[in-house]
Amino acid sequence: MPAHQSHPRANSSSAASGKKDGAERVANQPIKVRLKHVLIGTICLPVVILLGAWIGFFNVGASTGHWKVTSLFLDLAMRSAVRTYALTVNAPKTLDRRGLAAAAGHFARGCAICHGAPGELRSPAVLRMLPQPPDLRLTVADWTDAQLFRIIKHGIRFTGMPAWPARDRDDEVWAMVAFLRELPKLDANGFRALSGESTGADREPAAPAELAECTRCHGSDGRGRGDLVPALAGQKQDYLFASLQAFASGDRTSGFMALPVTGIDPAAMAALAKHFAAQPPTSVDRDQIAATTIKNGQQIAQAGIPQRNVPACSSCHNGPGRNPIYPRLDGQHAAYLEEQLKLFRSEGRGGTRYWRIMATAAQRLTDDDIRAVSAYFSSRSESPQ
Amino acid sequence: MLSTAILSLLVGCALLFPANGGIWVATDVQHQPAAAVKPSAVATVATIGTAPSPEAPAGSEQAPDTGLSLFLRNGCGACHTIRGTEAGGTIGPDLSHVGSRRAIGAGVLPNTEEAIADFIARPDLMKPGVKMPAFDMLPKAEIHKIARYLKALQ
Ligand code: HEC
Ligand code: HEC
Ligand code: HEC
Ligand code: HEC
Repeated sequence: MPAHQSHPRANSSSAASGKKDGAERVANQPIKVRLKHVLIGTICLPVVILLGAWIGFFNVGASTGHWKVTSLFLDLAMRSAVRTYALTVNAPKTLDRRGLAAAAGHFARGCAICHGAPGELRSPAVLRMLPQPPDLRLTVADWTDAQLFRIIKHGIRFTGMPAWPARDRDDEVWAMVAFLRELPKLDANGFRALSGESTGADREPAAPAELAECTRCHGSDGRGRGDLVPALAGQKQDYLFASLQAFASGDRTSGFMALPVTGIDPAAMAALAKHFAAQPPTSVDRDQIAATTIKNGQQIAQAGIPQRNVPACSSCHNGPGRNPIYPRLDGQHAAYLEEQLKLFRSEGRGGTRYWRIMATAAQRLTDDDIRAVSAYFSSRSESPQ
Repeated sequence: MLSTAILSLLVGCALLFPANGGIWVATDVQHQPAAAVKPSAVATVATIGTAPSPEAPAGSEQAPDTGLSLFLRNGCGACHTIRGTEAGGTIGPDLSHVGSRRAIGAGVLPNTEEAIADFIARPDLMKPGVKMPAFDMLPKAEIHKIARYLKALQ
């Protein structure tokens, strides 16, 4: 660029003034030479680098580590990028701790293999990764919540640190941030308890092998550990099966569920659906909720809100002989129902082939409606239909 | 020599990072759904929701499907009223006498069984901006049974 600009100036000055005083030309001379070098340099350097890459000059082996200067540069670039990009993240004032159990379960399966976990030895193979995945118990304090969110959601390029397995599930990423804040306080037993590791004692011989993975989060009683993990006990079998298919195909996105359904064949899915559907539904522990809220919720569930085109939920979710893909909501965790309704409202839920019906129904619900109707369904305990 | 190598490595890095639009932090590249799990699932999905699936406890309260039971089973009653049944929704039109109407879909379709079925499957095609969701995931046979039932409501 600068070289280009200098030419017209040099030409015009010589053309306009003809034989001007040589002093100026001498003064111009060194600049011209330097610009030419820079020009040649900028053209040649990429070619040289490309050539170097092509003949295999750059050592991509990980065994010897980076040069000091390279690793300093990479670390600087990573930290600066995370810092800068985290500026756009809107961190909540207090982290929601209701998803801790699910996040811990996910950590045990999806993160511990690289980062290690309390009471678990890492594979020597992982320790020879470049860069080596840090022990997060020692490093989480270096980062703000927003920065952790940014790292977990998007991953880190060139390091093996993966992005979150589901798009548009910021709620799950925040749950993971909350768990990482908890991690340094956990010892081996605390971690095993929180992540729901199965002791194997309650293993039923007839159950599919994958069941131990599911009970981490959904509990061996199928009631869901933590308010954001759905109870599966007593849910309709066809709905459970169709939902598992939806997670596997990506029609319903959840980072927490994406991992456990990967690689399960349809026969095992059907067996798992059958197992949970056969468990007796017990109403989940619930918070004290104002009776008026539940009453409002009942009104919405039974009559809808006609003036805002909200249909009556019970016409699809209660009563005998309903479509087996329309799920039961009775006794489900209220926080889970709320989260799902918000996802439906923003069209971020997906689901079985029937999900659009539900998205239509949820479109015009306000946050207050959602809280009320979720509290109502959660407070019901009816035998399964 | 070493310093040129370091220099070229740094420049190389500088050239690599902006590649792909973003900078440094990898985004949204791998978000394709895990297609690997899909294959043989499809056949099973097709049967579900229609009839009870293979392992489903054979419907205890699954009376023979009449048009009315299919109407109620799929939640049409959340939005429509049919007098004399439990369907009491008020968001969509009252369908108690829909069969005797001259036209349906706010007058855009002739009132035939075929047209009613087409409307139920894809109301958005018949009338843009419609507040009724599409029910084209229901088996064709069920939609036709519902349509025949509705057409008979005089
Ligand atoms: C395949 C291995 C791998 C997996 C799986 C993995 N990570 Fe990482 N992670 C890394 C590597 C490597 C780094 C180091 C990046 C660097 O130093 O530039 C890292 C860095 C991080 C950091 C920044 C820590 C710091 O102080 O630099 C966080 C936070 C993190 N990972 C969280 C997670 C979470 C949460 C999960 C599970 C959802 C996860 N990681 C799964 C490899 C992995
Ligand atoms: C890491 C925790 C975790 C594990 C492990 C897990 N789940 Fe889930 N599961 C969840 C969460 C969280 C949700 C809610 C997903 C959402 O928000 O969309 C869920 C949702 C579901 C649903 C949909 C329920 C509904 O009401 O829509 C089914 C079915 C399900 N899981 C079955 C399973 C099965 C079967 C396994 C074992 C193969 C399993 N899950 C393993 C956390 C987990
Ligand atoms: C016309 C039928 C219909 C109506 C009316 C309806 N729903 Fe649904 N709902 C569905 C279907 C179908 C699904 C399953 C979606 C999927 O996962 O594919 C569903 C799913 C849900 C879920 C997710 C359950 C889970 O376990 O993940 C919630 C929560 C829900 N509905 C709440 C409501 C509420 C609240 C209302 C009333 C405002 C309502 N629904 C009205 C058909 C309906
Ligand atoms: C979420 C609410 C909702 C649900 C659920 C719903 N509908 Fe509708 N339906 C409507 C609305 C609103 C209209 C009016 C469309 C218009 O003309 O704008 C309508 C129109 C119709 C019409 C045309 C009536 C006329 O007078 O033109 C038929 C037929 C119909 N619906 C049948 C069904 C059937 C069968 C089902 C169940 C499979 C169903 N609907 C479920 C809201 C709904």
